[in-house]
Amino acid sequence: MRLFEYQGKELFAKYGIPVPRSRLAKTPAQALAALDEIGLPAVIKAQVLSGGRGKAGGVALVRSREEAEKEAKRILSLRVAGEQTRALLVEEAYEHAEEMYLSISLDRGRREFVALASRRGGIEVESLAKSTKSEVPIALEGLAESDAASLSVKLGLAARTGSDFRSILLNLERLSREEECELSEINPLAVRPDGSLVALDSKVVLDDNALFRHPEFSQLAPEDPLEGEAARSGFAFVRLDGSVAVVGNGAGLVLSTLDLVADAGGSAACFLDLGGGAQRERVEAALRLVSKLPNAKAVLLNIFGGITRTTDVAEGLVRALSQAPIAPVYARISGAEEEEAHALLSGSGVQVFRTSREAVLAAVREVSP
Amino acid sequence: MKIELPEAGEPVIVQGITGKYGSLHARLMLGFGTNVAAGVTPGKGGATMEGVPVYDSVREALDATRAKASVLFVPAPALLPAAEEALRAGIRLLVVITEHVPIRDTLTLLRRCQETGAHAIGPNSPGVIVPSRKLKLGIMPAPSFLEGGVALFSRSGTLMYEVADTLSLAGLGQHVALGVGGDPISCTTLTDCLDWARAMDEVRSVVVVGEIGGDAEERLAEHALKVGFSKPLVAYIAGRSAPREKHMGHAGAIIYGDYGTAESKIAALRRAGAKVASTTSEIPSLVKSAR
Repeated sequence: MRLFEYQGKELFAKYGIPVPRSRLAKTPAQALAALDEIGLPAVIKAQVLSGGRGKAGGVALVRSREEAEKEAKRILSLRVAGEQTRALLVEEAYEHAEEMYLSISLDRGRREFVALASRRGGIEVESLAKSTKSEVPIALEGLAESDAASLSVKLGLAARTGSDFRSILLNLERLSREEECELSEINPLAVRPDGSLVALDSKVVLDDNALFRHPEFSQLAPEDPLEGEAARSGFAFVRLDGSVAVVGNGAGLVLSTLDLVADAGGSAACFLDLGGGAQRERVEAALRLVSKLPNAKAVLLNIFGGITRTTDVAEGLVRALSQAPIAPVYARISGAEEEEAHALLSGSGVQVFRTSREAVLAAVREVSP
Repeated sequence: MKIELPEAGEPVIVQGITGKYGSLHARLMLGFGTNVAAGVTPGKGGATMEGVPVYDSVREALDATRAKASVLFVPAPALLPAAEEALRAGIRLLVVITEHVPIRDTLTLLRRCQETGAHAIGPNSPGVIVPSRKLKLGIMPAPSFLEGGVALFSRSGTLMYEVADTLSLAGLGQHVALGVGGDPISCTTLTDCLDWARAMDEVRSVVVVGEIGGDAEERLAEHALKVGFSKPLVAYIAGRSAPREKHMGHAGAIIYGDYGTAESKIAALRRAGAKVASTTSEIPSLVKSAR
């Protein structure tokens, strides 16, 4: 689960990482009230989870109340990569000479966490040249002070900046370990004229599977009502902007079905994995969910029944169709008892196919203009 | 790395055998011919599940059966302690079916395996099957798998079943099929699998089913180039059309920036001499033409 910038900064503050003073605002009036506390100049930032916020115009430096009101209104109506801005962070603007990068992330290939830092921050970490990046691996027990010091030396940091860096790095690593983050990133980490450091942005991704040990985060439910419904049903669900709702049993199977849809010239309206042991109730709930996707013009159901009984899937499908209007359903149902499953669906209006390819082509044809 | 699987008829245990999922799959493993000799569920010792005696601890189960392998169905919060208990009792192979294991628990499990020289498959794995030995340590549907000379390694469960089914229908049976699991960290990597397949005489060709996220396929390709891999290698990568920065079902199936894209994996595999299928249905013909 990715946290909003302001949530990440609350964690930073809790772990002693310096952050600018800030207030969250959901209306232009609240933004102006926040300014009374923060003072001018200030920075107003869209609180969105999508990348590319700056380029999309989601960050503004304001020097007067009039400017602040205008920018607050503008940013609150802004969509960043399709995501509607729902809140603003009003933050004191800091004069700074240099922007650095610092993160603690999982290195999947090496199978360990690493601390990664660069003197050239403020841009996407992927676009940083390799020669400007330095990293140290982190043991399960945590980062040693000597490793933090050696990273600081590698970066050529001295005096106030060096000591601030070591303390921020150790605190960020403790945060990452104790809160069980997949990623905790400070970019930019600003160097102020006096050499001190301050975290101007946060990107924190929690390990979803560790949330049972961190109940305080469980209230941070997804804001998208359909994502919330999917989470309650135990589905893996991703909303997409195409027109074919793709539902199947197994993440890899659904993923490969998305590719087949794209290859056929179509585009998916969602990714929905029913999970293993897809029973009647789950199929029914999934169909109910995708019927609420405004952009779905067809439903593509791909079931490979191994342990899953395909007759259960067919029964769930029939029940869902009897309850709510659903876009035309194209189903590939393969596996144990598939003859019986196909028979159950005859006359239901569902078009049933033996191969994924046939079902995909038919569904894409349905939505083609 | 050498993965030592039980021989035909050797005993194995199931941890979490009294759960709904554990008992169902214990029954299906027994039905396939695998010698599930004992189950473990703390507090349920003395019970019998599917005709299999249940013990309170792994040590008691091993005293009774001398098993060296365990299949784990325990819930995620209890997985690490259960795996550590098994390793302390002397289990040499852990097959972790459990899904939603925290990353740091997996890293700890990996460390414990390295310390003890034991081996783990998973987490979030469908398990491993060797049709010729009637050995099924996992949840895969047995009818899709036939005895033969292909080694099938997959990051996805259902895609492994689907590909096995397609191969079997085309007359291409499998010597072994193993799912490394859909998590960001797998205790057995695709590279480990490749080394293993190289050393197995019964394996005549290798099929790798990958997906977006991480760099397991790139590492496999680099390794194959470095050490040389002479058996035919066919690959398929799911997620060419997936958006970035979204978990596509599996915790491990996520692209960050340019890291973890299907294009990168396909290019790396091609450089290593693999034939890359664009759909799963193409895999059998590529295996046949590569032989």
